[in-house]
Amino acid sequence: MQKPRPRVKLPKSVSKGVPFTVRTRITHPMHTGLRHGRDGKPIPRRIINRFVVRYNGEEAISVDLERAVSADPYFSFEMAVQESGDIEFEWVDDDGSVYRLGRRVEVKS
Amino acid sequence: MNATRRDVLSLAAAGLTALAAGMTGFLPVRPARAANETQLAIALFTKGALPLEGGVRIEAPEIADNGGAVPVQVSAEGARRIALFADGNPSPGVVVFTFGKWVKTAASTRIRLAGSQKLIAVAEMADGTFRTTSRAIKVTAGGC
Repeated sequence: MQKPRPRVKLPKSVSKGVPFTVRTRITHPMHTGLRHGRDGKPIPRRIINRFVVRYNGEEAISVDLERAVSADPYFSFEMAVQESGDIEFEWVDDDGSVYRLGRRVEVKS
Repeated sequence: MNATRRDVLSLAAAGLTALAAGMTGFLPVRPARAANETQLAIALFTKGALPLEGGVRIEAPEIADNGGAVPVQVSAEGARRIALFADGNPSPGVVVFTFGKWVKTAASTRIRLAGSQKLIAVAEMADGTFRTTSRAIKVTAGGC
């Protein structure tokens, strides 16, 4: 399996208290454990099972994923902030790997 | 969250048994396999509370061409958490969103649906009550 590649899309600068959209995606096969490979052997389950977004260290949104989430899990949501800060994204894999990504959000006055 | 289907089922069965026992014991205790798996998953999420209809929204296409990636949005104003269940999938759980600070209590994702079926969203509100809604989706090519 290729190393999962996380990607996020959000504005670099936002207005105070005005909602903006955050889009996130990570490349990952999300193996359900129900399928069989070409060799007829079952492909073991391997999914991203948790996704967390923090803003200035505080949890903004978290997601517990089951295997019914599509390959390359995509999430989008809206947020509004009062002050500039660091936004961190974290994906947790079944095998224990954690993939992280961070961005800076500037609040225009 | 590495729970297998068996783990979840046995946990759900235990939860329901405990719940039934708590209800002064006049309710008959049903064996887990007789109960609907989706209902069990929902009962696990609500810790046995019965959700009220309404106050949650599921936005999804009426007909999905590709069951491997069906776009879905759930929202519920004033929710702490929203769980999504797929009644016709090999296992009912899809996602649980937990909303913290800064965010609007709505989220979008893409999910796998094995075939035409009913989606059920259950929201845990800030006051600890639960709300629910469901939506039927036709899937032309399943994706599980």
